[in-house]
Amino acid sequence: MSLTVILFFGFVAILLLALGWALWEPRERRKLETDPRSLEERDQRHVTYFPQIRQALAPADYDYLSKRTSSGVQRRVRRERRSVALAYLDALRGDFQCLLRMARVIAALSPEVAAVHEFERVRLTARFGWRYQMIRWKLLAGFAPVPQLDGLSELVSGLSVRMETAMKELGERAAAAAELASSMNRRGLDVV
Amino acid sequence: MIADPTQFRQLLWAANTGVGIFLLVVLEVRRNYRVYPAFTFYIVMNLTQAALLYATYRRWGFSSVALWRVGWGTQAVVVCARALAVAEVCRHLLGRYPGIWALARRILLACAALVLLYSGLAARHQWKLALVSADRGLELAIAAVIVVLFLFTHYYEVQANPADRLLALGFCLYSCFWVLDNTILEHYLNGYAALWIHLQMLAFLASLILWTWALRKSQTETAAQEHLLPLGIYQSVTPQINLRLRLLNDQLDKIWKQEVTRQ
Repeated sequence: MSLTVILFFGFVAILLLALGWALWEPRERRKLETDPRSLEERDQRHVTYFPQIRQALAPADYDYLSKRTSSGVQRRVRRERRSVALAYLDALRGDFQCLLRMARVIAALSPEVAAVHEFERVRLTARFGWRYQMIRWKLLAGFAPVPQLDGLSELVSGLSVRMETAMKELGERAAAAAELASSMNRRGLDVV
Repeated sequence: MIADPTQFRQLLWAANTGVGIFLLVVLEVRRNYRVYPAFTFYIVMNLTQAALLYATYRRWGFSSVALWRVGWGTQAVVVCARALAVAEVCRHLLGRYPGIWALARRILLACAALVLLYSGLAARHQWKLALVSADRGLELAIAAVIVVLFLFTHYYEVQANPADRLLALGFCLYSCFWVLDNTILEHYLNGYAALWIHLQMLAFLASLILWTWALRKSQTETAAQEHLLPLGIYQSVTPQINLRLRLLNDQLDKIWKQEVTRQ
């Protein structure tokens, strides 16, 4: 097969794959809340649970258990910690998607957008998606032993503080964002 | 059963012309020509091309130089009309959102230019194939522009009018088929040219049916821009959101780096 044929067929195959992806509406997107105010509430819910997650991942708990319980219990704890880590990852992704959605709504309803901000968001989304999947697969496959996840507790508390600060900054603008999202609904630009 | 390829080609020709005329009637009856003037012009140009080709074919035959000249001459006009119709569909899909439409326009133009360049580099450089290569490049650019347009609507979650979506889909699928068809024809199956012409005509017939279905109801003019946000909101909120996205990315980076260093 000549190079020209490969190049043209390959390009068309990529185009058709991209077309299929662009036309496909993921189930999770369809299921997402239609109320734009949920964007903010959802974000706040995760922040509320951060202390519990921190507790669940605390190294002291694990040390205590390893001295006083059987290996079966330790295995169960390890399994549960893994699920906590996965749930935390999912929460991060949820936060990310909520912010992303809000940014897209704002961009769609703005008279002008800056290419640099839009491209940065695309870059951040691609990077986040890649890292998220890699870490998730490692956790699911058990390549990341549970003690290694202990560092998550520090990350969680760090994130909690920084997100609270960032949320204060965004607080003034939350009302405007909710208003614009409902305006978007009225105009047929679907939040779902 | 039709055994004669010439007879089959004439039948397809008649079917394409018939459906094309029917589409034109639908555009007129539903007053959709007001909403899609460039698309209507494209269909008119297509029918004119078919009529001219048929007249030339009847007068001078299938392998004549006259048919070749008329074919490629009219094809240039038809491809330009196609490009205009595609631009119109793009405007319909994103025109209500001036911010992202301005960005999309630049990206779509850049994308078309890059695909044309790619086609030029990937094609076999022979003078006798120059027209085929140029035509294929334009069709590939049209397909790429529509795919990027759909990616835009997906990314910004823009709810597209079903008629616009179907029109764009028809253009894209036909352009993709055209590119594949011409590539195979150019390389391997010159001896079976008639077969590939039949396939191309069938693909166009499918697109015509899709477009007729899309425009079976009256379409309204694209809604004017309304309830846009003041520019200040984008300028102040977007950097904040991007900052928070970066913070979330940093969290993942820390987990990732921790695991990599501990392994």
